[in-house]
Amino acid sequence: MSELVKRPTLVPARPTSAESRAASLREVLAFALADEAYGFPLARVREILKLPPITPVPRAPRHVLGIVSVRGVITTVVDLRRLMRVEERPPEKHARILLVDVGGEVLGALVDEVLQVHRLAEDEVELAGVVGGDLSDHVIGVGRPRARRDQDQAGRELIVLLDPEPLFARLERG
Amino acid sequence: MSDLRDEFLSEAQEIVESLSRDLLLLDQAHKDGSSSQDLVNEVFRAVHTLKGIAGMFGYARLGEVAHALEDLLDDLRLGRQNLTTELLDVLFEGVEVFQRLLAESPDAEVSEVDIVAFLEQLTSVGASRPPVEDALAAYAIDASVLAVLTEYEEHRLRTNVAKGVGLYRLKVRFSLATIDTQLEDLKARAKSIAEIITYLPSASGGDGDAIDLDVLLASSATPATLEDVLGGEGAVLERLTRGTSPVAPVRATEHHALVPPPPVRTPPRPTSAPPAPRMPSEPPLAKREVTADQLSLRSVAHTVRVDIRKLDHLMNVVGELAIVRTAVMRLTEKLRGRPELRQLAIDLHRINRGFERHLEELQDGILDVRMVPLGQTFDRLARIVRQVAREHDKEVALVVTGAETEIDKLIVEELSDPLMHLIRNAIDHGIEPPKTRELAGKPPGGTLVLNAYQKGNHVVIEIEDDGAGINPQVLIETAIRRGIVSEEAAADMGRDEALQLIFLPGFSTRLRASDLSGRGVGMDVVKTNIGRLGGVIDVQSEVGTGTKLTITLPVTLAIISALLVRVAEREYALPITAVQEAIVFDPKRVRRVEGREVVTLRGETLTICRLDELFRVQSKARGRRYLVVVAVGQKRMGLVVDGLEGQQDIVIKALGKSLSRVRGISGATDLGDQRVALVLDAPGLLDEVLSSPERALHEGRR
Repeated sequence: MSELVKRPTLVPARPTSAESRAASLREVLAFALADEAYGFPLARVREILKLPPITPVPRAPRHVLGIVSVRGVITTVVDLRRLMRVEERPPEKHARILLVDVGGEVLGALVDEVLQVHRLAEDEVELAGVVGGDLSDHVIGVGRPRARRDQDQAGRELIVLLDPEPLFARLERG
Repeated sequence: MSDLRDEFLSEAQEIVESLSRDLLLLDQAHKDGSSSQDLVNEVFRAVHTLKGIAGMFGYARLGEVAHALEDLLDDLRLGRQNLTTELLDVLFEGVEVFQRLLAESPDAEVSEVDIVAFLEQLTSVGASRPPVEDALAAYAIDASVLAVLTEYEEHRLRTNVAKGVGLYRLKVRFSLATIDTQLEDLKARAKSIAEIITYLPSASGGDGDAIDLDVLLASSATPATLEDVLGGEGAVLERLTRGTSPVAPVRATEHHALVPPPPVRTPPRPTSAPPAPRMPSEPPLAKREVTADQLSLRSVAHTVRVDIRKLDHLMNVVGELAIVRTAVMRLTEKLRGRPELRQLAIDLHRINRGFERHLEELQDGILDVRMVPLGQTFDRLARIVRQVAREHDKEVALVVTGAETEIDKLIVEELSDPLMHLIRNAIDHGIEPPKTRELAGKPPGGTLVLNAYQKGNHVVIEIEDDGAGINPQVLIETAIRRGIVSEEAAADMGRDEALQLIFLPGFSTRLRASDLSGRGVGMDVVKTNIGRLGGVIDVQSEVGTGTKLTITLPVTLAIISALLVRVAEREYALPITAVQEAIVFDPKRVRRVEGREVVTLRGETLTICRLDELFRVQSKARGRRYLVVVAVGQKRMGLVVDGLEGQQDIVIKALGKSLSRVRGISGATDLGDQRVALVLDAPGLLDEVLSSPERALHEGRR
């Protein structure tokens, strides 16, 4: 999508030794939510917006913050904090809305901060089945990007990889 | 590729629709016993074209059905088949088959449509009918002449016979030397008063220098006139009259035959006679068809088919331009405040006014393009009426008025299903069987009236039957039995209120599910669908007299005039068509009646709804508030709002799927400056507020 103009600047410049490995990489857009790092598959993120004025919708499902107009298209904005059941807090300076393609509808997801795009190799991802435990169905797995020479590892080495469909399906249930 | 396919689909759809219209006319003509040859030709041509384009776009099954129907129609056209009710049934069924086939992908592995069964049905109708008793046989036309007529000549002959046009045989003797010019001269003279069907060398032959021609003519002119124009040396005019089996009514003028009727059949000529050389007098059939197709192509060239989404997009752009206009206007106001820029501000203002005018024209133009007459939908309904009436052995006459009333294409699309359901209901539940009707002193055939007219910015569609009507007492009893209302509530129920029960979910007065109306789609669904289009449905009924359903719809959903109101610091748009008036709200005049807040406005009780409470938003506004009187159809209520922000044209945009179930909101609109206002769903709110005690009870019982 042409809207994702910011994508190139988000991808860290990194010497790729083997092009063949690209196929097994997972491109993930990482973002912060209540001091945790999460990620959506990059291919599903259409655009990143600074916070426009949001119009609340009375009697909408609880997770819905309201609607915004994205160049004339009315888009529903979801408070990801509420949806993920973490402590609510009014959006701050770095807050952004990710426009996520959720099978048939583009939804806006309010996040605390956009971090970066990670390209994860197969051995940098633990799938939910392997991790085990009571992970919700919207968690694909956990990514552990290795430290790289050209970037600063600020302690956020665990990214919870989210599957948009089951996550936003909660909207339907209210 | 998919563009081409879309193109095909819309063209095929148009052909099928016109086919359907012509079939209805044909059905009518068949009932009246009037001539229908032109219609049969129209129908034949439509199926022929459909066959052609289906082949081009790979709709093989559609092509196959069209081909089989074309054969049947060809027989009909050339008189090898009689037009019967059974045959009409098959033709109507053909329309259904076409529509179902068009709904499917041509590449679908498995098809829902059983064309084999239909083709068998076609074959059996085609075979079971003995060829028509030959109307021409009744005329004194030489069998040898009939035998050499081209298909087209024979068709023209039959057409004229069917229309009751007189047939004549002119025997003329032409000199072989001058036959060409003499023949041309005769044709020219005949042109204005007669149609020359064919001319053949006469059986009586001629002599060495001359040839006798038999000219077969059809003419409505009197024999005396014909004699005047065509008669002359060596010319003998003879009227061909019918024998004992008249096909079309004999007209009075036909008694002035020149010659008394000859014997019914002239004995066939000996078979040894050499076949007469054919001299075609008209272009052959195939050639004529090409001309007809070219004609229709030319007329189509002036119109363009447009995907409605493209119009939506254009309307969106107009909306964005309106926002630009507002911004320019604001800037102009700012400039006005600077004395040194005053002249600039005035110029800019004038330019902006021009821009505004053109923008309005553009908007009206786009709206106009979206409008289609309701007639298309009504034609489809007429077919349903015929089919359902036959299935039920009921006689139903459909009377349609206002088919030319125009409405937004998108609304029309969504209207078909609800209307179809209402029509089925009216015939199935409303109109009684002929015997019952006669006992009640009514004519055995029922009447279904379909009226459409524009009323302000709304289109009203009425569906009225003269059937049994709805008994409110029965409705109330059923509702109590189903637990939809309590007995106490039922006791207070007025007649109109009781009739409204039919719109509640899970309500059906019929115990056994009818194969027609009881397909799990009830009046509640009809009401919901119409509500989604911003419309309302009302019912009136008189036991024994009939039922009338009235649907009120906005003309368009694309752009509307709206009143902007403010509630709890937020703006909401209220379609102006639903607003009757706005007055200052006086809280002291509010009284409580049966759990509702009401005020009395000019002697009438008005239920009020405080929007901030309904929407659970805290209004901090102190001071003056307003009461907006909202009315749709027969329903009225007062909405209490914090402020009125003026009137504005808005483009309504749908909310995302995730918010489609939010009640009371029908969409949103861009006001510019990144401001977005919600559009209030007036019919939905009226419904929610005015029926809340019932609904609450209903939901409580679940």
